[in-house]
Amino acid sequence: MDFLQRYGQEDEPYVCASCGNCTLVCPVFRDLKWESYGPRGKLHIVKSIIEGEGVFGEDFANKIFLCNLCEHCTSVCTTGISLDRFWEFTRAEVRDRGLLPEPAKFVLDSVKSKGDIMWMGSADRLLWMEDIEESVKNRVLKQAKVAYFLGCNVSLKSQLHDVARSMVKIMEHADVDYTLLADKETCCGAPLGWAGNFEGINEMAEKNLEVIRNLGVETVVFSCPSCIHTWSEYSMYLQEENGLELLTTSQFINRLIREGRLKFEEQPMVTVTYHDPCIAARVLKATEEPREIIEDIPGIYKVEMTPSRQNTRCCGAHGLLNVVDPVLSSRIAEMRLRDATVTPASRIITECPRCILAFDLAKFTTGYDMKVQDITQIVANSLLPKDSRGVNGQ
Amino acid sequence: MRIGDIVGADNVSTTHETCMIYSKDVTSLPDIAYQIVSPKFDVVTQPVDVLSLQNLVWYARDNKIPLVPRGNGTSGWGGSIPTRGGICVSLSKMSAILYFNEFEQAVTVETGITWRDLLSFLERLGFTLPVYPSSATAATVGGFIASGGLGIGSTRHGDILKQVLGIEAILPNGKIVRLGKVLLDPNSDYIQEKVEKGNEWLCQELSDAGFGTPEQETKLITGTYGTLGIITKVTLKTIPNLQLVPFACTFDSMRDLVNAATRIISDVQPYFLRFLADNYTSKLRALDGIELESGKYVLTGALLDTIYQNEDNVEIIQAYTTEANGIRLDDNRAWFYWNERLYPLRIKRHGPSLVPAEMLAPLKMLPDILEETKAELRKSKVAIEGTLSNDGNTSFMVWILDDERKSLSFTVGWQRSFRIAALAERFGGLPYAVGLWNSRHGEKYYGSQSFQKLKIMKKRFDPENLMNPMKVFGGRVTAGRESMTIGFLVGFSIVLSASWIGPRLFGWSWLIQLLNSNILVLIPIPISLVISLLGGIAGILVIRLMTLNQALSIGIPILRVLSKILGR
Repeated sequence: MDFLQRYGQEDEPYVCASCGNCTLVCPVFRDLKWESYGPRGKLHIVKSIIEGEGVFGEDFANKIFLCNLCEHCTSVCTTGISLDRFWEFTRAEVRDRGLLPEPAKFVLDSVKSKGDIMWMGSADRLLWMEDIEESVKNRVLKQAKVAYFLGCNVSLKSQLHDVARSMVKIMEHADVDYTLLADKETCCGAPLGWAGNFEGINEMAEKNLEVIRNLGVETVVFSCPSCIHTWSEYSMYLQEENGLELLTTSQFINRLIREGRLKFEEQPMVTVTYHDPCIAARVLKATEEPREIIEDIPGIYKVEMTPSRQNTRCCGAHGLLNVVDPVLSSRIAEMRLRDATVTPASRIITECPRCILAFDLAKFTTGYDMKVQDITQIVANSLLPKDSRGVNGQ
Repeated sequence: MRIGDIVGADNVSTTHETCMIYSKDVTSLPDIAYQIVSPKFDVVTQPVDVLSLQNLVWYARDNKIPLVPRGNGTSGWGGSIPTRGGICVSLSKMSAILYFNEFEQAVTVETGITWRDLLSFLERLGFTLPVYPSSATAATVGGFIASGGLGIGSTRHGDILKQVLGIEAILPNGKIVRLGKVLLDPNSDYIQEKVEKGNEWLCQELSDAGFGTPEQETKLITGTYGTLGIITKVTLKTIPNLQLVPFACTFDSMRDLVNAATRIISDVQPYFLRFLADNYTSKLRALDGIELESGKYVLTGALLDTIYQNEDNVEIIQAYTTEANGIRLDDNRAWFYWNERLYPLRIKRHGPSLVPAEMLAPLKMLPDILEETKAELRKSKVAIEGTLSNDGNTSFMVWILDDERKSLSFTVGWQRSFRIAALAERFGGLPYAVGLWNSRHGEKYYGSQSFQKLKIMKKRFDPENLMNPMKVFGGRVTAGRESMTIGFLVGFSIVLSASWIGPRLFGWSWLIQLLNSNILVLIPIPISLVISLLGGIAGILVIRLMTLNQALSIGIPILRVLSKILGR
């Protein structure tokens, strides 16, 4: 277990107070119900391996990948262990020992060969622009203060293309000077970390950052909170003083609203609930901005799910669980969907493409009739047409 | 029949990993502990309802397999760890809220529910619990009820067992009984008939033993670690969730803190009052960098009352604090300490391991005990904190920070926990909990009469001692390989040296000759060696027949001597 020393983690399994806080919030434990799948149990297993009683074998490697890396265990840890980092380091060791689960190997190969997680390719990153080519073609790789970074899911998955189109509509509406990376965008590198390849992350981030730097960008807006987290954590460039601002779409849209650049028209009465994506809520602390946006749209009423904000539950699709064990991942999404169905809301709003995909799937498996939207979609659909804003934008 | 057929195949595991994980609680035990208790369960089960649990109890009784009930393993007194292997009964899948009535101010739950889930359910309805444990985020209702003790709210409402209106339990013979007043909706009470039969039997048993009715004898099963039965349902008191006002004050000495605390408890009756000693607050600072009260003694707690009552009480607290040379902190700091009430284990970061010692002691003796404790443990890293009760007692926890990776010194260092217990006893203190390790204090803890009563009922309910063996009542140890080897070597050497020295001392040459002669003409083994081997076997027998209390009485002084030698 030398890797623990290498990453400065050798004390962590012993610092664990075994209080069980992490286990009870763990989405995987909540489904599988055995402690050996929860964080406390896994730390006990690590200790037993260190002490020569357990084996770092395939079974343990698979267990380490049955985890959403949702930061919930980290956020409730009594003794402040960065558990999610610990699991990532352990995944790196799993990779070094050649024990990676096949789906994780596929993701690593795909990111390396194609620059995305779905074995598609850079040309496919232009598909979402269909129908709006006219309005966006001048934005591609244009010098601008703001860059919109879509991420692999929004760029490449057709059911999420509307998220990107909505964001473009919002920025056009607010006369934002923005640029798009289009086919020059590559994966942010997050899946590499989840699959235990840290060395590759900085390289992937740097590929994107090089393009961004050349365009004179000051603010990067992301449709996926995990991209921000990965760059903040692993990009050497961003760890130095550089003045580049990384924002979630809700943080950026909320700023536009406060600056009076977005106005809404009355909507037919809809009750919505906001699902906080794990990384946005627990790492980026972006919990209030989306709520403020929703409250600003007339006719939209917001109810809270229990739990929410920093205590939000994972949708099940983070951390490669959706590729390593799609069935388990879907069951976790169903559990979270049930939290929404017990509220009076008829629509879930969120701001993570992975959550949208997970809930869409869970809707099929559960039969719950509930619309799932990104925050950009509800905002774009509620904008007051420009010509009706009056002379002073009133 | 297989256990999987009883509880469901998904609810049973025999894998090494699962059995190892469920065999632990929050305390890391030194390896030497596994010379007297077994290191892990043979099977872990998670029954989902009372009837399958009843079948499991019958199965265990018929096959003479030990059963150990477990909540979430958030205590550190060994109440839920294995002592003779057997079956772990994790109750976490039995976690339904069964009944709540705001007029009766009571809630009935299955005991696998966590306190946090129960509290958030009640809070949505405008109620809360009079007492819940500081481990509420993960501890189960059953675990705390089975062990007893002080918690958040005890300063106003006393210990947890006073909040229990009634319980349902499965006795070691499989009978389902209800003690006290268990409130349930009669329409959903599908085991009523079984309970009536069980209670009829229990009534007779209690009456034969000269005790009260099941209604009066709830304390047989609560606070006794499931040794007399597995608690499956509990009805708890609830209280209205009135205005919560946290407060915190700092003092330069423990004596000032105790003076202020005594007056606050008697005149204000706060909901909760906790102290953090100087060595605890100084360690908090290193953790988050916002601790402004480093190295001070902090008295913190909360009022839970009407707005008008709270307004008056806040002024009283301010006055008493000032008179005791203390400073009342602002609301931000008060909320910080209130939120910290659920995380006393934070300081484990400084370990990375902890050796705990928790005692109950009279509040007025606390300054002296703390002073002596500090002197006694001057060579160790220590953090002390505690909870104040409304009966003049306080539970105080001495966290001794250590490192379990340094095997020898960690093992030897464990005697400090027992040393602090002995020290507190000198000042009128008691062990905070009995569990596994303090069973020799059972009589003092429960009171002589009550303990006798418990012993009588244990014999009647569980003559084979299968339900959570060794807890509360002690019992024979499960000797490890090393301890049996030591037993053999000690027995062997004693007899060998006695057979050499004895005859020479008394000049019995005939005996010397006899011992030196071979046992048989053809086999050249001297008789002295044969009887030494018999001595070794007797040594093994002694170890195997040793009770836990005897093992501890021998082991602790040895550890103490070793500690002196090692200069700890």
